[in-house]
Amino acid sequence: MSHMWFSSLARLATIVMLLVILSVLSPPFLSLQNLINVVRQASLLFLLASGLTVVILTSGIDLSIGSVLALSASIAATLIKQDWIWVGPLIGLLVGAGCGFLNGLMVALVGLPPFIATYGMLWIAEGFAVVFMKGEIIGGFPSSFRFLGAGHIVGIPVPILGMVVTLSACLFALRRTNFGRYVYMIGANREAARLSGINIRGNLLLVYSLSGFISAFAGLLFISRIGAVESTIGEPLLLPALAAVCIGGTSLFGGEGGIGGTVVGALILTLVTNGMNMLNVSSYWQSLLMGAIVVLSVAVDQLGSARVERT
Amino acid sequence: MVDDLVLRLEGICKEFPGVKALQDVDFDLRRGEVHMLVGENGAGKSTLIKILAGAHQLDTGRIVINGRPADIQNPAQALGLGVSVIYQEFNLVPFLSVAQNIFLGREPRHPKFPGLIDHARMNAESQALLESLGVDIDPWATVHYLGVAQQQMVEVAKALSVNAQIVVMDEPTSALTTREIEQLFAAIRRLTARGVGVIYISHRLEEVFQIGDRVTVLRDGKWITTMNVQDATMDVIIQAMVGRIIDRMFPRDFAIEKGEVALTVRNLHRHGVLQDINVTVRCGEIVGLAGLVGAGRTELARVIFGADPYDAGEVTIFGRTVRGSPAASVAVGVGFLPEDRKREGLALILPLRENVVVASLRRLFPSGVIKRAKEHTVVTDFVKSLDIATPSINRMTKFLSGGTQQKVVLAKWLCTQSRFLIFDEPTRGIDVGAKAEIHQLMNELVKQGAAILMISSELPEVLNMSDRIYVMHKGRITKELSREEATQEAILRHAMGVTT
Amino acid sequence: MSETLWRGWARRVAMAPGAVYALILLSLAFALFTAQFLTLHNLTNVGMQGSVLVIVSLGMTLIILSEGIDLSVGPVLGLAGVVLALAVKQQVPLPLAILAAIAVGTTFGALNGALISYLGLPPFVVTLGTFGVAQGCALILSKGSSIPELGPRVQYFYDGQIFGVRVPIILTAIVFLTVYLILYYTKFGTYIFAIGGNQQALTLAGVRTLRYKAGVYLLGGSLAATAALVMTARMNAAHPTVAVGLEFDAIVSVILGGTSFERGKGWLGGSIIGALAITVLRNGLTLVGMSSSWQVSTVGLVIILAIVADALRRI
Repeated sequence: MSHMWFSSLARLATIVMLLVILSVLSPPFLSLQNLINVVRQASLLFLLASGLTVVILTSGIDLSIGSVLALSASIAATLIKQDWIWVGPLIGLLVGAGCGFLNGLMVALVGLPPFIATYGMLWIAEGFAVVFMKGEIIGGFPSSFRFLGAGHIVGIPVPILGMVVTLSACLFALRRTNFGRYVYMIGANREAARLSGINIRGNLLLVYSLSGFISAFAGLLFISRIGAVESTIGEPLLLPALAAVCIGGTSLFGGEGGIGGTVVGALILTLVTNGMNMLNVSSYWQSLLMGAIVVLSVAVDQLGSARVERT
Repeated sequence: MVDDLVLRLEGICKEFPGVKALQDVDFDLRRGEVHMLVGENGAGKSTLIKILAGAHQLDTGRIVINGRPADIQNPAQALGLGVSVIYQEFNLVPFLSVAQNIFLGREPRHPKFPGLIDHARMNAESQALLESLGVDIDPWATVHYLGVAQQQMVEVAKALSVNAQIVVMDEPTSALTTREIEQLFAAIRRLTARGVGVIYISHRLEEVFQIGDRVTVLRDGKWITTMNVQDATMDVIIQAMVGRIIDRMFPRDFAIEKGEVALTVRNLHRHGVLQDINVTVRCGEIVGLAGLVGAGRTELARVIFGADPYDAGEVTIFGRTVRGSPAASVAVGVGFLPEDRKREGLALILPLRENVVVASLRRLFPSGVIKRAKEHTVVTDFVKSLDIATPSINRMTKFLSGGTQQKVVLAKWLCTQSRFLIFDEPTRGIDVGAKAEIHQLMNELVKQGAAILMISSELPEVLNMSDRIYVMHKGRITKELSREEATQEAILRHAMGVTT
Repeated sequence: MSETLWRGWARRVAMAPGAVYALILLSLAFALFTAQFLTLHNLTNVGMQGSVLVIVSLGMTLIILSEGIDLSVGPVLGLAGVVLALAVKQQVPLPLAILAAIAVGTTFGALNGALISYLGLPPFVVTLGTFGVAQGCALILSKGSSIPELGPRVQYFYDGQIFGVRVPIILTAIVFLTVYLILYYTKFGTYIFAIGGNQQALTLAGVRTLRYKAGVYLLGGSLAATAALVMTARMNAAHPTVAVGLEFDAIVSVILGGTSFERGKGWLGGSIIGALAITVLRNGLTLVGMSSSWQVSTVGLVIILAIVADALRRI
C-alpha cells in the first residue's frame, strides 16, 4: 500500500515541478489562457486513455483505439454534414462500440492474444476509414456540433467537463461496482477469477466494447474541437494514450492502478508537449519522447513491481 | 567400502516457511547400483533430489561426490559435477532433433567452417549413445513427435553423453507400457554396467524388486531405513512408509446426523484422466479423497466444480445436474479451495477485503453497486469468526502468512454461503497451530449442515477427519473405506494399487 | 498401398500452414481475374516488391520463434533509409553510408534486445516504445520530408542486375541463405528454438540464455536496415514514414507461414511463402484497379480472416 502512495506523491510532485520549470523557461506558460488550453488538451487525451485504462486493468491491451476513433469520427462527421446532427454522433458511437465488441470476441471467444486481435482491428478500422473518406477532409461542422469541442458551459470548456464526467463515471464503475471488482480480479489473477465464479468472457466483451465506445466518444469531442476530420487523425494518438496510462501507474500486467492515475498521466504528458511547443521544440521530438516514456514507465513498473512472480 | 561410494548425503536439513521438509537425512549411492527411494507424498523425496540437482539449497548438511565435498548452488553446477536428473516433465526442446537435444549446450564444432555445428558428428555420436542403450531412435527425428518412452530414452542418452556419474530418475514409468518399462530397465542396466549410480524414485513398489539393489524409505522428512532389496519384503517397506505414531489431532465429532445428498457422481468419465467414477457426499459428513500424486483427485475435483469438462456420466449437486462452468457451480452452492491457493485461489496483489467478497458480489450487492459499510461489516465478521491474523482488512493478500491466506480462501467461500465445499489439500504448507484451527472450522461447518469433500495427501489428516474415504489410483476409485476399515496401510495399499 | 500413401499426402496437405493455401488461392484468383498477373514481367515485379518484406520477415521469424515480437521494424527501416540518404547527400562514400544505415538498425535491435532480454520487459510494449523513438528520430533527421534524388549508384540496388538476375532478388537470396545457416547450423539458431520451446532446458544446460535472446533482436534490426537499402533504392528517395505497417505484414507472414508463438516451432520457408502471399495480394489488387484506399482495408480484412481461420483450425 505504501508503495502506491509514494508513487502517487511522486507523480503529483512531477506536475508541480513541471509547472515551475516551464513557467521559468517561458513566462507565457503561466497565463490563464494557456493553462486552460493545457487542461482542455489533457482532457481529450484522458478521454481516449480512459477506455484503454480499463482494458489494461484486465491485463489486456487495445491497440486499435486510434483507428476506431478515426473510423467512428469519419462516419459521424459524414452524417452530420448531411444534417443528421443527432443521429450522426449516435451512429459513430455505435460503430465504436461495435469495433470494440469485435475485439472482445476475438480475445474472449477465439482466444487470440489481445495485442494481435486489436492490432488487426487497428488496420481494419483504419482501412475502412480510408475507404469511407476517400482521402478527403471533412470540415465546417454546424455550430451546434462544434459546441462539444469548442464551447463553454458556465465558463468551463466542454471537453474539460467531459473529462470530469467520464472520470467520475469510471471511478464509480471501477471502485464502487461489482463490474469494477471483476475487472481488477481478472487482471490480478485470471484463473483465480474464473475459479471464483466470475464470467470471464462476458466481462471481457463488455470491457473491450466499452473501450471502443469511449474511443468513439473521444473522437466526437476531438473533431468537434479541431473542426475537421480525415481518416488518419487516429494514427498519432495511440502512443500518447498508452504513455498516459503507463505514467499514471497502471500496470500493463493488470490488476494494479486506475483511472485517477491516468488523469495525472495525461496532465503530465500534456504539460510536457505544451512546454515543448512553447519552447519551439520540433514536434518530431514528441514521438521520440512518447516512445521513451512508455519504455521507461514499463521498466520502472517492472523493477518496483508488487507482484509475486514475473518470469 | 568408502571407495565404492559415488555420492554421500550427510545430515541434510531443509526447511520451508512453516514446514520442515528434511530433517537430518543421510543417503548414499554406490557406483553401479540402482538405489530406490520411496516414501509417501510429502515424505521429502523430491526435496532431497532437488537439493542434489541444485534447484534448492540445503540449510545444513554435506554433499560429497566421489569423496570430495561439493557445493551445489545451481543446476549448472550440479551438471558439472556429474549429476543428471530426469524429471517427470522432461527437459527437452520439442522442435529440435534428438541429437540436438542430447548435445544441447555442447554442440560440436565443424572442423572446416568455424562457427557452424558439425551435424554429422553430432548425429553419429548420438546414434552410438542410443545404440549403447539398446534403443532404436533416429537421431534426426524431432523430439515432439516421439512417444513418451522414446523421449525418456533421449533424456537417458543425454545423461550418458555428459558422462553423468549420478543419474536420478523421478517416477520414470508412470506413462509407460509394460514393454517400454522393460526397455527402460534394460537401458538402466546398461548404465549401471558402466558404473553409473542410479537413484530411482517410484511409487510402484513392485519395481523395487524388479530393478533395485537397495531401497531407502523416507517418512515425514526423516530417514527411516535403508536395506538391501534381497532382504526386504513389500510389507516391511509399507510398514516403514507409514509406521508413524499419530499425534493427537483435532478431535472430530463424528456423531453428526447426515442430511440430504449434496453430491452424486455417476459413471463419470473423462478421456485419459478419469474412469468410471461413482461418488456420493451427504450434508453433515466429510468425505476424504486419498491417493498418490497423479491419481486423479484434483482432476476429479475440478470436473465436479465445473472448472474442467467431462466426456460422459453425471454430476448432480443438491439435485441439480451441473456441467459447464465454475460460475454455474457457484450459483448452485459449491465452493472450491484449490491446491495452489496462491495461483488459483487468491489475487495476491489485491487487498484481503476484495478477495473475501469477490465470489459473493452478486449475492451481497444485487444492484451492482457496492456499499462500503456493508462490505466492511461482512469482512470484519469473517476476520473475527475465523480468527484471521491481519492488521487491517485492506492489507494486500500477498503479505499474509500461508495459514492466514488459506483462511481468506475459506472466508471467500463461506461468504458465498455454499453448502458443499471441496477442499484440495486444505492444510498443505501450514503450521501446526493453524492446521488445528482449520480442522476445527471444517468440523463446525459440517455440524451446521455443510458437506465437505476433502482431498489430502497427509494420511493422518485423512484418517482423522473423514467419515468415509475414497481411494483413487490411476484415474479410478479403487476402494471406498469406512472409518472403521481405514488404516494408513490400507489407504496406501489401495493408492498404490497393491492388491496382494 | 496407394491409399495409405494418399492418406499420408492428404494429411500433410491439410497440415500445411495457412500461407501455402493463401498463396495458391490468391495466385489462382488473380490469374483468373486479370490477364496481366501471370506475365513474366509482373511475376518478376512481385519478386522484387516482395524482397523488402521477405528480408524483414526472415528476421521476424527468428524473433517470434524465441517467443518475442518486434513492432519497431517499420520505423527502424525508415530511419535506416533516412540515414543512408543523408549520408549519400553529404557525399559520404556509398559503402560507408550503407554501413551507417546498418549500424543504426543494429543499434535499435540491440536496444530492444537489452530491454527485453536483460530487463525482462514485455516485447510488444518495448518495441512499441522503440517504434515511437525510431519514428521520432527519422522525422527529426529528415525534417519530416523525403530525401529524393539519390542517384544511380543507390538505384543500382533495385534496378541493377548481376548475371542477369536483379539485385534485390540476389540480396534476398543471400539473406535467406545466411539466416538459414544461422538457424539450422549454428548454436545461435539451436538456442533460438530452445528459447521458444523450453527456455528452462537451455538454462539448465548451462547456456547463457539471455545473450542469445537479445541477439535475435539485434539480427532483426540489422535485417530491417538491409531491407531499407532495397526500399530506398526502389524509390530513389528516403521517406521517414515509408514503412509504417510493415511490421504488421511481417508478423502475419511469419504466423501464416507456420511459426508458432509459443512452442519454438517454425518454418523459414513458410515465412517467405507468407510474405509472397501478401505481396501477391497487394500486387493483384493494384492490377485489378482497386484504389489504394480500398486496398488498406481489404488487405487488413483478408489477413485477419486468414489468422482467425488458422487459429480456429488448430482448435
